[in-house]
Amino acid sequence: MPSSPDSDTNSGARREGHTESGPESRLHNWVVSNTKLRLLVQFVTWVSVLTLFTETVAAGNGMTLSKQPRDTLAIPRWLYLATGGATIGASALLASFVTDRAFIRYLHSWSFPGPTIDDWRTPIVWIGRGLGIVVLGLAVYLGVTGPQLPTASFTILVTFVVVRAGLPMLTYLGGNLWPVLNPWRGIVSLLPTGYRTYPEELARWPAVGGLLLLVWIEVVFPVSTIPSTLSIVILGYSVVTIAGAVLVGPNAWFGNADPLSVLFRFFGAVAPVKRRDGKLTVKLPGSDLTDSDLITDTSDVAFVIALIWELTYSGFITTQTGAATIEALASLSNIGVGAVQIRAILIYTLLFVSGYVVFFAAYWYAGVLSRRRTGTYITAKRIAFRFAPSLLAIAAGYHLAHYTGLAVSLSPALGMAIVSPLSPPANPLTLSPPGWFEGLSIAYVLVGHLLAIWAAHATAYELFSSRLVAIRSQYPFIIVMIGYTVISLWILSLPGATPPYLP
Amino acid sequence: MSYEGTTVPRRDSPAGECDYCGHPFPTTDRLVLHKGLEHPQELDADEEDAFISARADEEDELRTLRLKALGALVLLYFGFLMLYAIVA
Repeated sequence: MPSSPDSDTNSGARREGHTESGPESRLHNWVVSNTKLRLLVQFVTWVSVLTLFTETVAAGNGMTLSKQPRDTLAIPRWLYLATGGATIGASALLASFVTDRAFIRYLHSWSFPGPTIDDWRTPIVWIGRGLGIVVLGLAVYLGVTGPQLPTASFTILVTFVVVRAGLPMLTYLGGNLWPVLNPWRGIVSLLPTGYRTYPEELARWPAVGGLLLLVWIEVVFPVSTIPSTLSIVILGYSVVTIAGAVLVGPNAWFGNADPLSVLFRFFGAVAPVKRRDGKLTVKLPGSDLTDSDLITDTSDVAFVIALIWELTYSGFITTQTGAATIEALASLSNIGVGAVQIRAILIYTLLFVSGYVVFFAAYWYAGVLSRRRTGTYITAKRIAFRFAPSLLAIAAGYHLAHYTGLAVSLSPALGMAIVSPLSPPANPLTLSPPGWFEGLSIAYVLVGHLLAIWAAHATAYELFSSRLVAIRSQYPFIIVMIGYTVISLWILSLPGATPPYLP
Repeated sequence: MSYEGTTVPRRDSPAGECDYCGHPFPTTDRLVLHKGLEHPQELDADEEDAFISARADEEDELRTLRLKALGALVLLYFGFLMLYAIVA
């Protein structure tokens, strides 16, 4: 079989080599005809049209949101949501104008080689993981013995501002540093490992379960307010991680089962800086989202959807509407048994799981529809696998929208906690982000979606030989993406609240 | 020879399979396009001509599609312009 099973049309690299005349050059001229000439024109038009479109919508929303409190929009909420959805639809329509395979391939294979780092890798990894282990030890220790005020606690600040907010941002905006910093990997590398082989059929399901469990713990337990509770959770996570990695070996564990490592690996796919053949390489952001080897199992799709859903969910329950929904469901479920807190936790869990199932089913059904509408023989599963990486751009956009405010407001407190972890100030400084941060969040969500639309477009061109089929195959996915955008923009427009009934 | 990641529905009969990699296709033009894009070196003169004409047909259809997309964009734009004029 001369071709890889996952692409019908990866002939670009092959074609570049031969320029001799003969039957091939006629073909060659047809496919790459006057590409060079059109490249620049297309690129400029494209970028300018797209920027113009997003800038106006984002700026419009930003202006209406910035001067008033969150709950009073200058335009009706439905119009704001419709505009956001239409931005995605319009950019998909615009993307369908780009039908030049050579141009798409050029954008996605563009790279700028950087310095060779493999000679430096070993010392850097030792330093990074050493640092990671010190921070991990300090976090566990200080959570128990240090101050129990959240904004003064080293444990809480490092966990939420660095690991939850900062590192993922660094990963999708820059490059994935987690393999260098991972403290558990550092610990495991000192121990004897590999007593069992990792069962292949489990794939990334343990990581999916782990991620959902971590988010559930974050919602239900007071890990973001009581440092000692967080210490216990970190300790529990460490025990499971080290035991698992010792049992099946670090490569299998951190590649498949460890939620944090899988999360950073996936976010790293969006990043512009990559390590390739021992070199640091700069690529266009998101240009690796068309890779066929990123998503190879249903569990990978489940993980990507979990990334999107957990951000949507934790956004939703911290709004007034979310709180009101929980309260309404709690009073509805009042059948005289069980304390209200227990029922509330059940409701949080049910909402978390059912929403996730809906998000996953919507995506999977899009794959089925895509196959049915185009009449292709490529299976719905393979279509779903190939389009799933584009969702990572959406997840990155959501993450940036939800966590920039937190990272900025707590960064001075984090600085003080790092400088003097043992005796932090009693009343640490927290910043309150300016109003236009709200508008910025909307822009992040939209930009993430636009990148996803583009990635899906490029993927479709890789997957299908007919360009018409490639365009048609995207429609169901675009509708799902519009749905995700509208939900996310709706949550961003709701006034904030504290989730009820939780400790 | 079956091709990984594809299934042919029971009632369907594929228009053909790629001679070089076994990928089945529901219509002849998709097969021809696939051969031209994926296996350009292996094609004989007939297959090449077929590819070039399929490509020209595809280009025509794409032009129609682009027009439709442009129409949709214009509708969307003016639709929202009206909405904003009325509501906001």
